[in-house]
Amino acid sequence: MESLNNLMYGFGIALEPMNIAYVFFGVFAGTIIGMLPGLGPISALALMIPITFAMEPSSGLILMAGVYYGAIFGGSTSSILLNAPGVAGTVATSFDGYPMAKQGMAGKALAIAAYASFIGGTVSIVFLMLVAPLLGKVAVSFGPAEYFSLMVLGLTAVVSLSDKSLVKGLIAAVLGVMISIMGIDLQTGTERYTFGSAHLLDGIDFLVVALGIFALAEVFYILLRGGGGKEAPRNAIGSLKLSRSEVSQIAPPIARSSVLGFFTGVLPGAGATIGSFLGYSMEKRLAKDGHTFGKGNIKGVAAPEAANNAACTGSFVPLLTLGVPGSGTTAVLLGALLIMGVSPGPMMLENRPDVFWGVIASMYIGNIFLLVLNLPLIPLIAKILDMPKPMLLSLILIFCMVGVYGMSFSIFDLLLLLGFGLLGLGMRLFGFPTAPLILGLILGAIMEESMRRALQISGGDWSTFIDKPISMWLLIIAALSLLLPLAKRGLTKMRSPAAS
Amino acid sequence: MTAKLPVKHLTLLALPLAAASLATLAQAQDWTPTRSIEFIAPANPGGGWDTLVRTTSRVIQEEGLADQNFAAINVPGGGGAVAWAQIARDSGNPHKLFATSPPIILVPLAGTSRHDHTAFTPIARLITDYSIVLVRDDSPYSDLNELFAAMQENPNLSVGGGSAPGSMDHISIAGLASAAGLNAAEVNYVPFSGGGEAMTSLMGGHVEAVITGAGEASGQLGEGSDIRALGVSAPERMGGALADVPTYQEQDIDYTFDIWRGVMGAPDMSAEAVAYYEDLFAQMLETDGWEQAREQLGWIDAYQNSEEFGDFLDAQKAQFSEVLSDLGLLGQ
Repeated sequence: MESLNNLMYGFGIALEPMNIAYVFFGVFAGTIIGMLPGLGPISALALMIPITFAMEPSSGLILMAGVYYGAIFGGSTSSILLNAPGVAGTVATSFDGYPMAKQGMAGKALAIAAYASFIGGTVSIVFLMLVAPLLGKVAVSFGPAEYFSLMVLGLTAVVSLSDKSLVKGLIAAVLGVMISIMGIDLQTGTERYTFGSAHLLDGIDFLVVALGIFALAEVFYILLRGGGGKEAPRNAIGSLKLSRSEVSQIAPPIARSSVLGFFTGVLPGAGATIGSFLGYSMEKRLAKDGHTFGKGNIKGVAAPEAANNAACTGSFVPLLTLGVPGSGTTAVLLGALLIMGVSPGPMMLENRPDVFWGVIASMYIGNIFLLVLNLPLIPLIAKILDMPKPMLLSLILIFCMVGVYGMSFSIFDLLLLLGFGLLGLGMRLFGFPTAPLILGLILGAIMEESMRRALQISGGDWSTFIDKPISMWLLIIAALSLLLPLAKRGLTKMRSPAAS
Repeated sequence: MTAKLPVKHLTLLALPLAAASLATLAQAQDWTPTRSIEFIAPANPGGGWDTLVRTTSRVIQEEGLADQNFAAINVPGGGGAVAWAQIARDSGNPHKLFATSPPIILVPLAGTSRHDHTAFTPIARLITDYSIVLVRDDSPYSDLNELFAAMQENPNLSVGGGSAPGSMDHISIAGLASAAGLNAAEVNYVPFSGGGEAMTSLMGGHVEAVITGAGEASGQLGEGSDIRALGVSAPERMGGALADVPTYQEQDIDYTFDIWRGVMGAPDMSAEAVAYYEDLFAQMLETDGWEQAREQLGWIDAYQNSEEFGDFLDAQKAQFSEVLSDLGLLGQ
């Protein structure tokens, strides 16, 4: 009951006319920012700090939070339509979203993404409201050893993400891990794979790789197949409506991924990208039709979209209850709050309840705005696909290049983009799956850093990974998820001769 | 086209020149900027350098201190090295400034930048923050000396920080340990990617202590907090939420550490241009707008003019080299 009263109090703040305007402006700007690669939520929020400087802290945070979850909401659009993720958190959405668009179901994919985002976002706001103060403790219970084990569990998804050849999937994953550790090693200060270039000292931005391997490689592939020619425009949008059976198909994945995504978001350092991958690979394993994932399965769109929006809201837990940022984006939000004279932390609930509850209430409103704003726009945005192929391909090219250049203003990064485009093309031609590479890229660096950190703390004692209960259970689940499919396959092999 | 260009140039130049001649009469300055000043943050938006660039540009603009615009530009990469290499090529350009702090000394010492502070023109040191040593509230250590005694007994006792070995947090704690009579290399420094991550690790009991910026930590301390501070690297007690935190020197450890921030310019900037900027920043520090921003960000004024700042940088380099060589982290 108490949280209900608090929420009413929060709505009192969020429903002030100016604050409604801020929510609307925030989610609208966020949607646009999310669709365009390059200008991610981090830079957008940093650029907004001067605007929010003179605002009431609650209004400022309402506005900036809106931009953040709006961007994650909108990021799926370019993933689905162009295979070019607008923000890192929506890469997994393109695995099934883009194949759906190619099959003339772009409208449906976008609609599913919007519904799943809305539900993921809303479910996690309920969690945020009810259990945020308790969850602070959960967030800090994850130390280096626990993170290592979580990343190991995440990496076991390579098995399910590499369809035909496990060996090729593993090669791709290792390549991804190698790319992830490029730059100055945090533990020793040693340069790794930098080839003496100052441009590589900070490593390679995730979006450069993702845009190259997915979007640019797709352009190259179509050109290579001669598809750039005079192919007639196709009516590619399709219906937005979901049938009853489709709704019942995607409901359980959305529910599971919302919860999973929220808890991933709560952990500092994990966030929307990892959340969406975990959601995707969990559903792929649970689904009976798991082999159709990656070929346009609606569950493959619903799961990562619910998870990344839930994770985005979850990442507010460490920020608001502990005053520590769990991600780059929440670090900028923390900076903005400090400038506005609010220090988030354990005392925030008592000192600034207006900020805490005002933002939570505004998120409910913002998510409704996003749904209402996005659904009618889908047919308009999806018209992009009606363009003649040559124009569409040029558009994707421009999109990738502007996106990458806009992030760093570096010609070097454009060359990297080209390189990854060629790598992606090569992988595709020789039957290497690209998803494991992206997974290795996301998880590799955190896994390695956490492992060495844990060993440094334990004085080189490897048993630290089993001594900590959370870490031990994560490792056990990882081992089971590797062994169970093998055992299952063994069983079916034993049975099938008998059956036939 | 060719005929038009000089005309355009003339008109572009004429207005600022007229403004400049007025300014000369009023303030007897030998040089004023003739176009927008590029003010570079050698990192992505959101970090310490970026905040300094955007805050100072805003205050200068709002208080009407300069006739020309200060354009904030982000050049990320290599912990600053990419921007430094770019600026180093722009010798003598009086319209190019950048925000700086200890990495301008530490990154070259580690061997990952060819350009160090001597390649650029010091303009002014503006502000400083200090390091702070934190432990959990239920920690057995009540002061720094107890912590260091425990470290001597148990070399595995871990101290987390928010940056790589050989960078600010590590130098700060290693220098402190060696002033307290330990060997600098004995500190089991565990680097996290950011002060926030180090802090959650402390709260969760994964490391025993954390070294971080005092400004960043002040919001975490106080009643009801899970962590407390053992000492701060300032020469005297700080104010606000940190008023109860003893300095290192109060605990008989003769050591201070400044996380200073300042402004430098392109190589070989003329003395007149340097004088203009020195004066501009000195004026800015006196404004109400600055005072308000500074208080909200937890910064402490620490102005030094170009010459003092240059000497200070040389002294810092000597001090850091010593700690780094004790740690075996001195690059080539």
